[in-house]
Amino acid sequence: MAVSAASVAGALAERLGRERVVIDPSALAAATIDGRTPRWIVRPASIEHVAAVLAIAWDENLAVVPRGAGTALLLGAPPSRVDIVLDLCGLDRVLEDHPDDLTVSVEAGVTAGALAERLTGRRQWLPVDPPGWRRRTLGGMTATGGAGPLRARYGTLRDLLLGVRFVQADGVVTWGGARVVKSVTGYDVPKLMVGSLGTLGVLCELTLRLQPMPDAEQTWLATFASVGAAQAFAARIVDSPLQPTRLEFLNEPALRACQMPSAAAGVAVAIGSAHSAVREQGEQIAAIATSERARLAAVGDELWAHYDTALTPAEGEVVLRIGSLPSRLADTVGAVERALTGSERAALVTGCAALGTLRVGITGADPDIAHRLIEDVRNFLGAFDGSIVIESAPTALRAGVDPWGPVEPATLGLMSAIKREFDSRGVLNPGRFVGGL
Amino acid sequence: MPLTAAVVHELRHLLGPEGLVTTPEGRMVYEADMHTFYKGAPDAVALPRTAEQVQKIVRLCRSEGVPVVPRGSGTGLIGGAVAPRGGVMVSLNRMDAVLEVDLPNRCAVVQPGLINLWLTKTVADRGYHFAPDPSSQMVSSIGGNVATNAGGPHCLKYGVTTNHVLGLEMVTGTGDLVRLGGRAPDRPGYDLTGTAVGSEGTFGLVTAITVRLLHAPEAVKTALATFASITEASEAVSEIIAAGIVPAALEMLDAAIISAINASLGKIYPDAADAVLLIELDGPRAEVEAQAERVAAICRRRGAVSLSVAADEAERALLWKGRKEAAGAVGRLTASYLLQDAVVPRSKLPQIMREMEAIAARHRVTIANVFHAGDGNLHPLICYDDRNADELERAKRANEELLNACIALGGSVTGEHGVGLDKAKNLPLQYGDADLNFMFRLRRVFDPDGIMNPDKLLPSHPACGEGFRPKRPVLPAGAWI
Repeated sequence: MAVSAASVAGALAERLGRERVVIDPSALAAATIDGRTPRWIVRPASIEHVAAVLAIAWDENLAVVPRGAGTALLLGAPPSRVDIVLDLCGLDRVLEDHPDDLTVSVEAGVTAGALAERLTGRRQWLPVDPPGWRRRTLGGMTATGGAGPLRARYGTLRDLLLGVRFVQADGVVTWGGARVVKSVTGYDVPKLMVGSLGTLGVLCELTLRLQPMPDAEQTWLATFASVGAAQAFAARIVDSPLQPTRLEFLNEPALRACQMPSAAAGVAVAIGSAHSAVREQGEQIAAIATSERARLAAVGDELWAHYDTALTPAEGEVVLRIGSLPSRLADTVGAVERALTGSERAALVTGCAALGTLRVGITGADPDIAHRLIEDVRNFLGAFDGSIVIESAPTALRAGVDPWGPVEPATLGLMSAIKREFDSRGVLNPGRFVGGL
Repeated sequence: MPLTAAVVHELRHLLGPEGLVTTPEGRMVYEADMHTFYKGAPDAVALPRTAEQVQKIVRLCRSEGVPVVPRGSGTGLIGGAVAPRGGVMVSLNRMDAVLEVDLPNRCAVVQPGLINLWLTKTVADRGYHFAPDPSSQMVSSIGGNVATNAGGPHCLKYGVTTNHVLGLEMVTGTGDLVRLGGRAPDRPGYDLTGTAVGSEGTFGLVTAITVRLLHAPEAVKTALATFASITEASEAVSEIIAAGIVPAALEMLDAAIISAINASLGKIYPDAADAVLLIELDGPRAEVEAQAERVAAICRRRGAVSLSVAADEAERALLWKGRKEAAGAVGRLTASYLLQDAVVPRSKLPQIMREMEAIAARHRVTIANVFHAGDGNLHPLICYDDRNADELERAKRANEELLNACIALGGSVTGEHGVGLDKAKNLPLQYGDADLNFMFRLRRVFDPDGIMNPDKLLPSHPACGEGFRPKRPVLPAGAWI
């Protein structure tokens, strides 16, 4: 690179103001990602700022890592280069709010917690709840595809993102989608952006569909002597007219971490509806529990509060995201636990029993064991096109094993072609996404 | 440019004599879809039975530079399945198998030519259904639903086609057979399934689809509320949505449509009503009961003249029969009509209905309305007499004015029918140069030679052409170099 650090800093400062460009060595060191220390941290306050930063980065071939709350920086592979950390927390305005349409447009740095606070008074919510969601930014959750127990009923941000404004790698401000709840005008660009880890553009504004909050929500915890029994119970719930808001599987360590009664496995069923309907569905759940020989207890919202605390990734924790199938839930949990045999570390396994998505958390895991676990479980899941992805783990583990796993060559070819088309210089998050994109 | 004899020969060799239509009268059958303005017969119609055949067709066409136009049942409303430049139309009707039903995982794998309703019929006895229910579902194919990201009355609560597609197998414009997404959720990488749904055959030809199946609700309640004006009915809709109630369906019919339906199918709806709201609630029994009371209270408060609930399945089916066959019944009202599919924010329904009345009066046209009120997706039918050129011109002007009014209220150009040939020119209403250019480049990744369904979806516009450079921020030139 022909450009000196001082002159890039000067250009950034000229466009954004000096106070928005951090060059203090200790601050830069603190922003190190996987051993790579950025040369600048930039704190834009507007989408125009973001565009200016990316235009400079594009012209100078600088690598940019967008960052929201910084809770998902250990997702995927270590970046191959880091020049600028683009801190988007300053984009924190609510741009348009339409309570009667159940839509809202926000800047990407708005946290899910701030939005939730704004919405509670009017009985609406954005039902997206990955552990630690309150302090995460909406842009970050969209880019990383974060989801929690509520996906059983409401889907993920894929189903809730209506429109998106982003800045392409070369600084071009681009809009895709619509501000209304139904639109098929042009390609569904928001779908391309959800979960793309900012590798095709930096998400700056999101138009989101909100949902009415149910009048009441009640959770029951069914506990079992085996994971297989828990799967059978969940299958009965799914194969019924019940419409749970959450149908979350918890293994024995996860139950303990959530301060629930000890059992080999549990399924937490939440019903959100009118008061009378919650009661009536509760009776149906009780009947299914009896016939499946489960112990059933009504539990308060504290289960979800404990869940949120216990599952927010801790320093050094290995967190894995598994896409399996409801019919293979017990087999998948078995594969995880088998891979840990002989280790004194236990895995917290939770996930949506209606969809077969699981989250595995291991604290203090020996890197070799974690490495082997990923490979073993990946082999097991490969038989039915399931996947296991590293959501968070120390650098060494993510450098030693492919955090994303294999993607079929033809499909990966298409993904690479898209990346090449929109970021041929590798400005955005280089190296972190599937196949090293 | 007609196909060369060598290409025809190769296609016939690949597909057999029954698998290729080249006679003028045979090709004529395929010259239009349900939007009769747009005509264009292909030079040949290929009727493949396998993904391998589809792949070979695309590869052959690519090497010859021949356009490929996908077609399902031809029930599209946008001039999507027509071949204005000729070329090879690939009709997927013969690929209509249910490949697999996997109820424990609530999904099925189907071929694109499968008729929408047949899938539901296959799984209905076990309590499941495929949620997207376009009014054409008795004849439209799931492949076509995927191509247009079709909606339907029940998409208000359950989402449109894209929310129910888990994976696709597809032959892209490069002739590669790719698998996108799949049965197991959260596949790593870009969500190319979600990106390809609604791409109207411009990325490639879908050869297999993995869809989500839903369990039937415990209870269904269908109610009919009549109003003295469409504005009052619209206000009721906006209030139901604002109250946080998500009905399974919330359909609006105006006086013109009501009389056409009653004339055609017998007296289904109250004749005297100026507007009818068809409201369906479904879900757990107690929830449906609780919501029904709230909906009834809102309708009364908004001046409903009458409110009745279908007593049994037969009555419910009758109420829906009128709605689903509305488009056909319109034949009683007018020889020809333009069908608009724009969307407004739900709270703006009363306003757009008032503007619509003014537009109709200004251009001296009759506008009949039957639409998915709950999601703000309008379907005004702008009637005209096709023997009267002036009337057609006025209808066209009213149509464009109405679309502009929807966009001005923050709406969308198309809610569920798609873009096709019909609305490509309207995309700049909703998207700027950079946005259009992004879509153009995305399309080119899937179809570098521009053979897949050319002229559809994107407008003829500088931003949708090679060499266009969207505006970038202006940097202080040479300030730091």
